[in-house]
Order: sequence, then structure tokens, then C-alpha cells
Amino acid sequence: MDFGILQQYGPMLLRGFGNTVLCWALGTIFAMALGLLIALVQRYAARWVRWIIQAYIEIIRGTPFLVQLFVLYYGGPLIGLRLDAVPAGLLGLTIYGSPYFAEIFRSGFRAVPVGQIEAARAIGMAELTIVRRILLPLGLVSALPALVNFSIILTKETVILSIITVPELMYQVQRMSTETFRYLEANLVLALFFWALVETISRLGRRLERRITRHLLTERT
Amino acid sequence: MTFQTSLRAALLGLAAMAAAPAAMADQLADVKAAGKIVTATDMHYAPFDMLTNGTYEGMTKDLFDEVSKEIGAEPVYQDIPWTAELPGLEVKKFDIVIAPVTITPERLERYTFTLPIADATVALVKSANSDMKEPKDIAGKTVGVQQGTAQFRALEAFGKELGGVTIKEYGTTDEAYADLATGRLDAVAGSLPNLTYLVKNRPESFAMFEPANFGPPTYFAWVLRKGDDSASFATAINDALLKMTDDGRVKAIQEKWLGAYTELPREVPTN
Amino acid sequence: MFSIPVFLQAFEPLIWAARYTLLISGLGIALGLVIGTLICAARLSPYAALRGFAAVWVSFLRGVPLLVQLLVFYYTLPVIGIDVPAIVAAVVTVGICASAYISEIWRGAIAALPKGQAEAAAAIGMAPHHIWGRVILPQAVTMSLPALINELILLVKASSLVSVVGILEITRASQAQAATTFRPLEVYIAAACIYLAINLCLSALGRYLEHRTAI
Repeated sequence: MDFGILQQYGPMLLRGFGNTVLCWALGTIFAMALGLLIALVQRYAARWVRWIIQAYIEIIRGTPFLVQLFVLYYGGPLIGLRLDAVPAGLLGLTIYGSPYFAEIFRSGFRAVPVGQIEAARAIGMAELTIVRRILLPLGLVSALPALVNFSIILTKETVILSIITVPELMYQVQRMSTETFRYLEANLVLALFFWALVETISRLGRRLERRITRHLLTERT
Repeated sequence: MTFQTSLRAALLGLAAMAAAPAAMADQLADVKAAGKIVTATDMHYAPFDMLTNGTYEGMTKDLFDEVSKEIGAEPVYQDIPWTAELPGLEVKKFDIVIAPVTITPERLERYTFTLPIADATVALVKSANSDMKEPKDIAGKTVGVQQGTAQFRALEAFGKELGGVTIKEYGTTDEAYADLATGRLDAVAGSLPNLTYLVKNRPESFAMFEPANFGPPTYFAWVLRKGDDSASFATAINDALLKMTDDGRVKAIQEKWLGAYTELPREVPTN
Repeated sequence: MFSIPVFLQAFEPLIWAARYTLLISGLGIALGLVIGTLICAARLSPYAALRGFAAVWVSFLRGVPLLVQLLVFYYTLPVIGIDVPAIVAAVVTVGICASAYISEIWRGAIAALPKGQAEAAAAIGMAPHHIWGRVILPQAVTMSLPALINELILLVKASSLVSVVGILEITRASQAQAATTFRPLEVYIAAACIYLAINLCLSALGRYLEHRTAI
């Protein structure tokens, strides 16, 4: 172990970690929003629209992020789509995450008892109100652990952004290890930073989980 | 199998692991006794290491096949990503890293290098329709290079000399070539043999500068662990390389893969 | 420009490499399902020590990137005398990493079940193993199917990381192919097609099970 190296590379690594957190946070928010939209459209849209969405889900979900990002960044200019590294990375994360989130939301909606929705319709509730008052709150409760789970998975996918030169943690760690041959320290840095990020996310997730289930419990009684 | 027998088997296994000889005193004797040399290389570094339709080939393989013959052991070739090669070497997962590694003073402090196997002098490649000609035309332009390499250092120094070059670092040269093709980069710096091979394969997209190279001459070599136990192994490899240089095998292999022959130093360069 | 011949030629070596992707992700998934179920059981158990162990397991394995886990398993453990073949290291690492995610998926589904069901089952005198086997688990499995399929698809793709221990799977083979042809785009798209084919099978399986088990 050589901690002198961490001192020398510390500021660079911290900046890298900052970029990782930023890309992850923005990418996850956008992907979740797009995923929710997809799940809702898929529930109500005409059959042919559902088919198109299903194809989108299968294709994006079925192919590796590495390939998608590579095609977007290095192949995009062939058809006139020229993005800088960071915007390309965020767009890539958004597209990549959206079908997974869509499936998680769909799964959450499935868990909402049909009887509740039928009851709401029977008392003449508008479809939009049903979505807002019944489908979303109940669906989100059961989808929350999976949402947190996938957000955590997305933290790890951000390391792939290094192939398009986004200066995130992996990019900086690689630079440190190729310059100093300190591979053990490099792995330690990666492990600690990611563990800290993931632990924070899952703690927040658990807190949120407790909070919204408590709310539901009080509403029920 | 009952729980007790499986427990006994597990304990025996652990005991066997603990009893395994900790360190080999002499790597050469060890390699000869095993009858095989376990190597690691990154099989995407044309023309040195390539996987063509699932078969490993390239200049490194031809050279090392001959070296193994001289030593009298079978080579075992493994494709290991570059980032894992040196760590794996250090924990003895492999006997030798045969990926071409540029000899640098920092690396010499930590590893044993064999004699040079190829010229690694840094060169520049540009897009085929670019109007730049000489290396110094990259002043003020954006140039890509592989992260943490000796070529990166050389480019950095050259950039300072020219009064400013924007350097973009990539994980592998493949991404840098791809970005040169998109037009985000004006040029890519890399070792002369790699770039020559690139231009030979994609002449419609890429072209060399005239002259292509700049900076001091550097060399590719193979890497062994540092220490007494690898000394005899290093000597055996170097003797084999010298013998192959003298009987013309090195020349034939270089001409086959690089299209030309460069005479290489007969001692390990120290700078 | 895009070269169709390069694209088509890329398939043969990539399909060959897909053997390893299938082997490692298949065995990894099987191992992950078994360990993940056990970890989830530990997490929900009445014993604090078991719960604590499961919580640390999940936190550590979800927190540390799979790539680092692989590097440690294969390249650091030999220092203390644990030296396993690359393929074993790959399957075990992928499996235990998957177990952390899978146990969280089970836990989420079980937590979302109305408590009243278990209470009702207990009230009519069902034994605990019957409550789990006939009431809780069937519903939890059904509910978590989409999330589980999501996870399995992710695993197939994450198995590309095992190239770091020297296993030539699809992604690694495509990188090698890209580096010799200098046409990464064509080769990567070919690789994407193969991943897509594998994952479409998984998601078709998921849909089939979903229809069969719909509540």
C-alpha cells in the first residue's frame, strides 16, 4: 500500500467521483422519467403503439450499454449526430436505463389489485385521477425496492462512460494505475467510492420505503 | 457424499494449498520442469497480437513460438486485457507478459524487461483527407493518445515544444482511431508499427504524417517479474532473441508483419 | 462508411465466443438464484446475527463493482493461497454478485405483500412452512418476475466483465475483432445482435411465465 500516491492523485480522483455522481444522478432521473412515461403510455396506448414501445424496450434492454454508447458517440457523426462526451453520456444513460425502469413500473402497476381500479371506475373516477390517486401511489410502493436496486446497478454502468472520455472515476483510476502501476490501490479506490455511493443510495431508499409504507398504513386504518 | 467426508475433503484441499511450495527459486528451471510457459497478452494490438476468426496470430506469437522452441517449452497463450496483465504477472498467474510493452525508466524500476522486440517510437496518423503534413503541423490541434502510455509522455513533451496541443486520452487506441474517423480528433499518436498497420488496412480513412515519427527512439519488449528467480529466465529469452536475430529469423518475422526490418539494440535500453 | 461484409464476417467468431457468455451467465444465474434465496431468507429471519450477515453481504456485493470483485477474486486471493481456475472464479464471482441483487428483488416482493394474508393463513392454522410455500412465495415470485427477468438480462450483459480473467466471451471477442479490422462500429453492432438474440429468449421466457402465473 502506498498512500502517498493517493495524496498525489486524490484531487483528481475526487473530481472523477464528483463527475460519476453527477452523471449517475442526472442519468437516473432522466431515465426514470422516460421509463415512467413509457410504462404509462404502454398501459393506455393503442395496440400498434404498444408494439413499437415493446420493440424499443427489447432492443435497448437486450444490448450492452458499451455498444449503445459506442454507436451513439462514434457512429452518430456518420449520420450527422455530433455530441460532446458528457451530453452523449447522459443521453446514453437515459436511453439505456429507460426500458428497465419502464419494466419496473409496469411490474409495480401489476401489483395494484384490479379491484381497486374497478371500484374507482365504478364510482365514476376519471382515468387520469385513477392514475394519480391509485395506480401511481400503490404501484410505486411495490416498485420502490426494484427502483432502488436498478439505480444502484446504474451507478456501475457509469464506468463505461470512460470509453467516450468522460472524466469520471474509472477514467481517473485507470490513469492513476497506468501511470503508477499501483493496481491494488486503484481497486481499493474504486471499491470504496462505489461502496460509499451505493450505501448512501440504499439507505435513502430504505428510508423512503419506510416512509411511504407508513403513510399507506395510516391511510388504510 | 456425507457431510463429514466432504468436510474432510475440503480440509485436505486447504492443507494442500498451504503446503504448496511458496516461491520457486528459479523460474527457468520451473518452466522447463512444467514444460510450458504461461503467457499473457492483450490480443487486440495489431499487428503484434490479433485474434483472427478466433485464432491468435501476429508478430508477437511468431517471435515467441521461436523463443519457446529455443528454451524447450510449450507456450500457453492467454488473452488478458491490458489492465490486468501486470497485476496478474505480479501474483504469478503468468510467467511472462508478451504484450509489447514500451520500455520506460519507471517501468524498469518495477519490472524486468527482455531485449527489445520491436521499434516503439511514437508516430502520428491523420485522417486521409487532412491537409497536415509534418508532425509539427499538429500545433494548436486536438490529438488523441492512449492513457498512461510512453507515447502519451512523448506527445505531451512534443506539444510543449510546439507551444500547445490539446491532448485527449483514451482507454485504448481503438477508441482514439474511432474518434479520428468521426473528426473529433485531428491526429492520433501511437507507436510506429501499430499506425503503419492501421493505415495499410484503412487507407481510405487514415494516412501517415511525413515523416511519421517524432521524439526519441523507444522500444517494445516483454515483461517479467523483478527479482533473482526470474534472472535466468530473462537471460534464456534474451539469448534466444539474439540467436534469432543472428540467424535472420527476427528479420523474416519483422518483414512479414511490419513490411520492413529495423535493427534492434542488443542490450536492454535503460532510458 | 458502414461495411456490410465486415459486419457479416464478424458473426462467426462472435457466436463461437457466445458459448462462454452463455456458460458463465447461465451458471452464474443458477448460483445467484440459490444463494440469493438463502440470503433473502436470512434477511427476513428472526435471528439478528443472520439478518446482520445478510445485510453486510448485500451491501458489500452491491456496493463494490463486479469488475473489482473479479480482480480481487482472481488476482489478489492467490496472495493468500486461494488460487482457482479462471472459469471457476468467473462463475463464482458472477453468481455471488447476482445473489445480492436477486435477494433484494425477493425481499421487495415479499415486503409488498399485504401482511393480512400471512396473518389470515396463520389464523386458519397453517404451519409456517405452508404459509411460505403456498401463500407468500408463489405470489412473491409472480410479482417479481419482470424485475427478475430485468436482472437476468443485466447479468448476461455483465458477464462481459469476465474477460478480465482471460475468458474470451462476446464483448472481448468483438473488441479483438474491432482491433484487427479497425471497423469497431460494424463489429459492435454484430455483437449487439447476438446479445439481443440471447436476451430476447430470456424476455420471451419471462412473458410466458408471467402469463402462466398471472393472478
